[in-house]
This record gives sequence, structure tokens and C-alpha cells, in this order.
Amino acid sequence: MGMPAVERLVNLTVALLETRRPVTFDELRRRTGYYPQPDAASARRMFERDKDTLRAMGIPVETRQDFGMDDPGYLIDRARYELRDVDLDAEEVAALALAVDMLGPDVGALPLAKVAARAPDPAPLAAPPARVGLPVTDVDVFAPAIVDRRTVRFTYRTADGRTGERTVDPYGVVRRRRAWYLVGRDHDRDGARGFRADRMLGEVRTIGPEGAFDVPSGLDLGSVVSGPDVVPVDVTLRVRSEGTWEVTARGGTDVGDTGDGGRRMHLRDVDPIRDRAWLLGVAPDATVEEPAELQATLRTALTRVVEAHTDDAHTDVGEGRS
Amino acid sequence: MSAARPRPDVARMLTLVPWLLERPGARVDEIAEVFATDPATIRAELEHLDYCGLPGLGGGALFDVTVIDDVVTVRMADELRYPLRPSPQEALRLLLIGVAAERVAGADVPALRSALGKLHDALGVTPGAVTVLDAEPDDAVRTLRAAIAEGVRVRFTYRGRTDTTPSGRRVEPWAVELHEGAWYLHGHDVDAGEARIFRIDRAADLEPTAERATSVAPDRLDRPAYAPTDDDLAATLTLTPGAHWLLDALTADDVAPHDDEGTVRVRLRTAAPEWVARLVLMTGGGATVVQPPELRERVRSLAQEALDRLGEASPQPTRPQGGRS
Repeated sequence: MGMPAVERLVNLTVALLETRRPVTFDELRRRTGYYPQPDAASARRMFERDKDTLRAMGIPVETRQDFGMDDPGYLIDRARYELRDVDLDAEEVAALALAVDMLGPDVGALPLAKVAARAPDPAPLAAPPARVGLPVTDVDVFAPAIVDRRTVRFTYRTADGRTGERTVDPYGVVRRRRAWYLVGRDHDRDGARGFRADRMLGEVRTIGPEGAFDVPSGLDLGSVVSGPDVVPVDVTLRVRSEGTWEVTARGGTDVGDTGDGGRRMHLRDVDPIRDRAWLLGVAPDATVEEPAELQATLRTALTRVVEAHTDDAHTDVGEGRS
Repeated sequence: MSAARPRPDVARMLTLVPWLLERPGARVDEIAEVFATDPATIRAELEHLDYCGLPGLGGGALFDVTVIDDVVTVRMADELRYPLRPSPQEALRLLLIGVAAERVAGADVPALRSALGKLHDALGVTPGAVTVLDAEPDDAVRTLRAAIAEGVRVRFTYRGRTDTTPSGRRVEPWAVELHEGAWYLHGHDVDAGEARIFRIDRAADLEPTAERATSVAPDRLDRPAYAPTDDDLAATLTLTPGAHWLLDALTADDVAPHDDEGTVRVRLRTAAPEWVARLVLMTGGGATVVQPPELRERVRSLAQEALDRLGEASPQPTRPQGGRS
């Protein structure tokens, strides 16, 4: 009895694509025989579930109640359903297939098949194998608002712990230093800002209509989240023999000995903020001689480590904040 | 019984129809590969599609799907001449995949750039709306990719997490992988005589050699993940929010909230306590070892040693430890 659900859903899609005018549930039921329950209410529930399933797949099932109709009717607008020719050539399909292979066939294969359905088959392409882990499904929650250009609202906790509401026109997403950022125009500050996805609390609500804003052309989203420009510095290190390899691996050059069995080494273009962790990790073997400001930063940090690991005053060592 | 039960998917079926209309005579196994699923699932979906079409009582107008000797032909399905538009989620995923791949391999694959231009247009997404600043390959990664392409061995000095001193390695490179923000090399370690995974930022003096690589990469490469064992040292750390990045570097057994300010308590096991001590040092006070006492003491002494040396290298006198009021 009954046809398999996947066949019913495909056929429902075809029927709603082919109709020129909205069809009511009663008509559909009569013409297809798909919702045979004697009880009209449970037949109706089954149809509602089908409709939700199709919409969740991105199929634009529209509800319309034209003048003179007693009940709402349904149809799928072919122009919204169809992806018309993307005009990819064989080299481009091959390049995208390589990208999907590198980052995740599970996630990328179906969207690629859609955009390449009417394109030529991929040209042969030789590229050295690489695998790139990027959790692209993390940004699903922002996708409809970005693609449909709808304003969003969410609760946000800043780096210093303050919590507040934000209203944002989402321009796009940025992946930086293993965090996702939503970048858009902050309504309250009237400027482009980046918001770390992992500091949003609760739901991201979509408000207002589609096409509510335009993305400014030429805006570099990456620069919005890159924070203040940090001036790189050249660093002189006094390095024990145990540490020379680490500094060499980092690109350091040996500029002479220190007279006590160690080496003096130069590291160019050190970012005092981003490279601080690395400098701390090698600090027992490689000591910063210049510049003095960087020395001071490291001294403060190392002092905090010593304090946090010294068992005198505190028994609860988890406190660790100054 | 087949091992995997076919799981027909409506979105894929709606894509299969236009895809197959353009490719009469496609084979089941190549279809399965393109759609990243198994042949049994494709066969099941084709069987269902043969019963699909424009519905109407009395049969309606059905698609004509034939599969003979694994060769597939679809006719009478013009209602689905064009594929379903990717959902917003699919659109952003595909663009992110393309943008990240361009960052890694754009130099080798120039067609990616023009493909991405067309995709942004077709999907209605402003160019630049998805931006990936991670995944930047450095010189070592580029050197390795070139060596893989040429099929030659590389050599470098390497210090693994449990190594006390670096040593020279000769490796036949198979693939590079970006995993949890760090680049790894998969390859055949010539001296060890087996497959190894190297973290590329722990390699120095990396260079290609003239020796041909002869080993064959396995079909499936392991993940560069660390699997703790019971012989490892158990440790407990607390991490303030600024030190949460440590969770990505460590394999934690358990992470639990520690206070209302976002500090978490982490339990982990490690075969490389010295490496964990260095990681704690890197946080500059954000991470604290709670247990065991010997690891706590190791971190304290490393930090104190670094402070003492800093005092010697510095023109101004060192303040005594704990000099904060």
C-alpha cells in the first residue's frame, strides 16, 4: 500500500512546479491520491509534513490565496527553484571537484553536482594531494540571512564579558585563527563589525524582509576582524644550545656566540601579540634581549605562571586571575 | 544482504535527474563517486525515480529510467530539466570550500578563481562574503607540495612531541593536511620504514632531494589525532577564556565549567608531559596545572628559569617573583 515517501515528495515537487495556478490541498489530494486517509485532519497533517520537508531542502513551496479562492493554494515558482546555467567549463568543474575532495566530499558533493549538472565533465587535473579540515557546516546558521540579505538580532558577549543585544546586517563570514566571525553592519554603531560566532548566546533571529540591505562593494571582510594593526618587530634572542633548533625552525638566523656557550640569534617580523605564546614556550631556552617592551611583556606573563603554580597562599589554584 | 542499507535522498534524486539528462549512458559507479555515496544508494534512487513523474490518477506521466548493465539512461523527465538551486547553507558551504581550497592550491589550479567568480554570481552571494584567513600554506607546505608533485623524497630535521632532541629525517611525502589549524605531512619515513605523520611546523631545514619516491600512498590516510593510552600521565588543568585555545592543541578526556567567568577544568592524559608543560607556559598564566604536583612544579621551574634568564639579559634588575601587590 501507499507509495514510498521519497517518490511522493519528488512527485509533489513536480506537480507544484508544473501547475500554472496555485493548487489547493483538496485538489492535490483528489488528483494524486497521495493522502488517502479517510480522516481529513490526518491527511492534512501528512501534507503539512511533506511541505515542511520540501522547504527544509530549500524547495520554495509558496502558499497563495488568490482572489476567488476559498482555500489557500500551493505552487513552486520555477524561477526560484531552478539553478539556471552557471556556465562552468571543464577546467572549472575539475578545480571545484578538487576543492570538494580536499575539504569534504560529504558536505560538498551534492552542491557541486547541482552547480555542475549541466556543465561539461571535469577535465583531467593533476594536483598534489592535500586535505584541509574546515568545519564549513558551522556557519549554516548564518547562511539564510547572508544569502537573502536579512537583518539578524542576537545576544553577544564581548571579550571582556559584557553581554548585550546586537542588530546586524550580515555581510558574510570570516574564518580567522580557527574562529568563525559574522561580519556586518552593526545598527547601533552604524559601522562594519565582526562578531565571533562562539560568543553569541542563544538563537540568531532573523528580522525584517529579504533584500533589506546591500553589501558595500569592495569591503574587505577580513580586515574588519583582523583587529588593530600590530607593528612587527625584529627580536634578538640569547639562545642556549638546546633551543637553537626551535629558533631555527621558526626562521631565526645565527648572528654569533654569546660567550657562555649559547648563540645570539635574530628573528625578523615577530608579531608581539600573535607570537607571544611561542616566545613564552621557548623562554627557558631562548631569552629576548631586544626589544625591551617585549621583555617586559614576557616578564609579566612568566611571573603570572610562577604565581599560579606556587602553593603558598592559595589552595584553590583555579583562581588564576589578577 | 548488502553492508550499507541504501538511504534514498529526495534532494539528491532531484539533482540526479537533470545531471543524468545531460549524461546519457553514465555508469552507476561513476554517479556514486560524483555524488559521494555508494552504488547501492544510487541504484535504489534510480529505481524510485522510475516510478516518479507528473502525478495523476491512473499513472500520470512517469519518467523513463533504464539501468542496463549499470549503464543509466533517463528520458521523459523534462519537468526537471534544471537542478534545484543550492540552499543558502549549501551555497555558503560550497563557496567556503572553494575559497579555502584556493588559498591552499590556487597557484596550482588557476581555474578555481574563475569558477568561484561564476559561483558567486550564480548563487547570488557577494564576492568576498565568505573569507578564509586560515589555511595559509607557508614555504614548507609549498615545498612539500612541489616535492609530492615531482615524486621526490624530502629531508628535514624534526622534533616530535616526545623527542628531547631533533633528528634528521628522510621522507617520501604523500599528502599535506591542515588539521585543527596546523599543517601535517603524511609520508613514508625512509629510515623508520613505515608511514608517519609529521607536524610541519616542527620541521626545520626542509628541502627536496633528487631521490625518487617509490612508496605508494595508502588509499586512506589516518587522521593526525593523538590517541591517549592508560600508560599516559593523567593531568588536570584550569583554563581561563583566553587560554581555551589549548583545548585544540590537547586531546582532553573531559572539559567542565569551573567558574562563572568562563574558566574550564580539563582532564587529559599525555605521553609528553614536557610538551604539556611548554603549552601551559605559552598561555602566560591563563592555564594552570592543578594535578599532578610534579607537572605543576615543572611548569613553575620552567617559568622561574625563564624569568631568571630574562633578568640576566635585561639592563634593569629583576624584581623578585610574586612582586605583584
